[in-house]
Amino acid sequence: MSQITAPPTTVLRRPVTAPMRLGAFVNDATVRSVFYQAVTFVCVVGLIWYLVSNTITNMAQRGMSAGFDFLDVSAGFNIAFTLIPYREGDSYLRVFQVGIANTLLVAVIGVIFASILGLVVGLARLSTNWLIRTLARWYIEILRNTPLLLQIIAWYFGVFNLLPLPRASIDLGGIMYLNNRGAYFPSPVPEDGFGLVLLALLAAVVGAVLLHIWARRRLRDTGRAFPSGLAGAALIILLPLLVFQASGAPLAWDWPVLRGFNFRGGFSVPPAFCALIVALSIYTSCFIAEIVRAGIQSVGHGQTEAARALGVKPSRTMRFIILPQAMRVIIPPLISQYLNLTKNSSLAIAIGFPDLVSVWMNTSLNQSGRAIPIVAMTMGFYCAVSLGVSFVLNLYNRRILLRER
Amino acid sequence: MSDAPLVFTPRPADPPPPSTIGVVGWMRANLFSSVPNAILTFLGAYIFYVVVYAIIDWALIKAVWEAENRRQCLDMVGRSGACWPGVAAWIPNLIYGLYPKDQVWRINTGFLILIAWAVPLWLPRVKSKVAIGLSLVLLYPLLVSYFFHGGAQTLVWTALIALGGAAFLWVWLTTLAEMRFGLGFGALVARLAGAADDERARRIGWGALAALYVLALLIVSQLSFVEVQTRLWGGLFLTLVISGIGIAFSLPAGVLLALGRRSQMPLIRVFCVTFIELFRSVPLITILFMFNTMLPLFLPQGVEVNRLLRAIVAVCLFASAYMAEIVRGGLQAIPKGQYEAAAAMGLGFWQSTSLIILPQALRIMIPSIVGNFIGLFKDTTLVSIIGLFDLLSMSRAVGEDTRWLGLFIEPFFFITLIYFVFCFLMSQYSLNLERRLGEGQRR
Repeated sequence: MSQITAPPTTVLRRPVTAPMRLGAFVNDATVRSVFYQAVTFVCVVGLIWYLVSNTITNMAQRGMSAGFDFLDVSAGFNIAFTLIPYREGDSYLRVFQVGIANTLLVAVIGVIFASILGLVVGLARLSTNWLIRTLARWYIEILRNTPLLLQIIAWYFGVFNLLPLPRASIDLGGIMYLNNRGAYFPSPVPEDGFGLVLLALLAAVVGAVLLHIWARRRLRDTGRAFPSGLAGAALIILLPLLVFQASGAPLAWDWPVLRGFNFRGGFSVPPAFCALIVALSIYTSCFIAEIVRAGIQSVGHGQTEAARALGVKPSRTMRFIILPQAMRVIIPPLISQYLNLTKNSSLAIAIGFPDLVSVWMNTSLNQSGRAIPIVAMTMGFYCAVSLGVSFVLNLYNRRILLRER
Repeated sequence: MSDAPLVFTPRPADPPPPSTIGVVGWMRANLFSSVPNAILTFLGAYIFYVVVYAIIDWALIKAVWEAENRRQCLDMVGRSGACWPGVAAWIPNLIYGLYPKDQVWRINTGFLILIAWAVPLWLPRVKSKVAIGLSLVLLYPLLVSYFFHGGAQTLVWTALIALGGAAFLWVWLTTLAEMRFGLGFGALVARLAGAADDERARRIGWGALAALYVLALLIVSQLSFVEVQTRLWGGLFLTLVISGIGIAFSLPAGVLLALGRRSQMPLIRVFCVTFIELFRSVPLITILFMFNTMLPLFLPQGVEVNRLLRAIVAVCLFASAYMAEIVRGGLQAIPKGQYEAAAAMGLGFWQSTSLIILPQALRIMIPSIVGNFIGLFKDTTLVSIIGLFDLLSMSRAVGEDTRWLGLFIEPFFFITLIYFVFCFLMSQYSLNLERRLGEGQRR
């Protein structure tokens, strides 16, 4: 069209820009994409600007401040259970660290118990024994279909709070004591020379890894297998034990002893901690059990039959044929369950265990009134954990993907 | 020679050994196939007996069914039996919260409307199931908001309530029309009016809808219910309201976010990814706390947002981030050929998405979506931490009542049953649906 409207004297040195009709705009994918993005950008930025300006006005009105300068101020409240040393009067920054340490402690212990329990229940779910299979199924159905918060509260108020007084503690093999003030364990007290034992442990771990690498190389080159797992485990257990005995057992135990109304000494955790760990582990174990079951079932039956046809023993079939393939299906959802457990540990606030959300987002926020930095720091911590773990998971996924042919 | 021809008659097979058939055979195969299995069976039976007997003994055999207060229960059986009268006395509160007793019929009516709205989805000859389902998710909350909250109607609110009311009328008129005549409501009206061509029929259909809306507007504007403030809402009712709104909001929002995440436009993708990853990586309780403390700061002065609304906003955003990831999984499972075929047919983005891609993706996603709903339903318990009286809070309140002081385990047991029944039914329904929808895919 443009050629017709252009005056005949002008030679087309450069393309004459056609007079844009509205239709051309609407039908051009690039233009449309830029337009949509611009609209979205304006909307989102406008919304953020609106919220921020409101917040600034409101905060100025109420005399609130958004700075991080309060972190050095003494918090002035006590925390019932701390993994790392904390005194009343320490700074808010220390409170934040205490909260993170407590959250991570719950997460790590919960993950360990949940994995063990989940593996057992998941295998029970696949058992050839009808009774075991059915029990496992109903264990999963019942616990998975009730809210976690309800379970935590029920364990706390229904079990751990109703335990007997310290005087009548439940004695678990003379090692652990349970009462309504918490669980008491002996705590190890390292003496001179214990460093040597730790060094031996480190050396044993390194040795076991090297042994494993050597065994794999030999298996690849010569086809002769070497029980490197067993040998490595023996090395890791025996070498430190040997050094421990040789250096004169440089480790004392601080035993909890009943004095007056309560136990003294040893290491103790409050009932809320026990309730939290039990509830989190049991709840998460249901999901892990289903993941384990799905993973094992995802390996085709032909694999098992082929292994049998080749004369591979059932135990070795499981270890060398089924598990390596099942792991590929199991690991990603398993990790996401671990993250869920970490996030769910924030429910501790309902039973008063001082985790990050409880001491930081609740107590510290109410005391200092610094809503914005505190919310940002809490969310920042959880984001960092989640994104860090997903980053590692993505690396792992890429590795197992590369092996596929 | 004998006259009888020589015929080979096989000896009848021996009956299977009695130890491999019947109850005995089943037990040998499934319970006692080996020594370790037999040991496991006995162990499992023992655990089953101990747990189930303890529960039955406590909840039924030794339980107290009639008492004035907890003291009487304790005098009768101590702690060895359940004290059910406390729970029975609190059942109205567990279900309706502090909602005024004389207004409770409004809640019941609201849920009856819900059931009536959903019934056509199960009727075999109804064709517009997608439209009915969508209207249930999007428009039912509008209608029922007035039943639950009540109070003075504003102009906009009346218009919205009427939209819900009109949708309800349309659902049943269409259902009846399709079951009786095999035609939708609009088409039936057009047929009766003797529409000459499609264009006229369509116009008459829209006219009928408009008339329906006016009718609904007239009915709705006559309703006037006493206002029941949201702080009186509680119990199972509140739990269902929060999870219902969460579900209704998260499904469309999740679809949009997932489409945005897979979009070609970098800016939109970045916004969606940031939103999804942020909300998925923090616990729900931190989001609830954030909205509880910061929403008043975010909004201009003088705008009051009640606690319930803050919680609902938090739950909705949280749920839609999770839903987005589920939808993304479903979209990724659709082979590329489907997109290309849709493009080759000349379908635009929205047409191919809504007509080709989403219907297939939603079918794959049903188990995960229901799983997400179950998770959301369970997660609503967290609103009790920020001071709303949901089912869990109400059950804890039983033990703080002076008559039933310290009665905690029985209400917990009762509401555990409620949660379990809801979640278990949802999961079984999803399994059933998956099986039925998968029928065509199976080879």
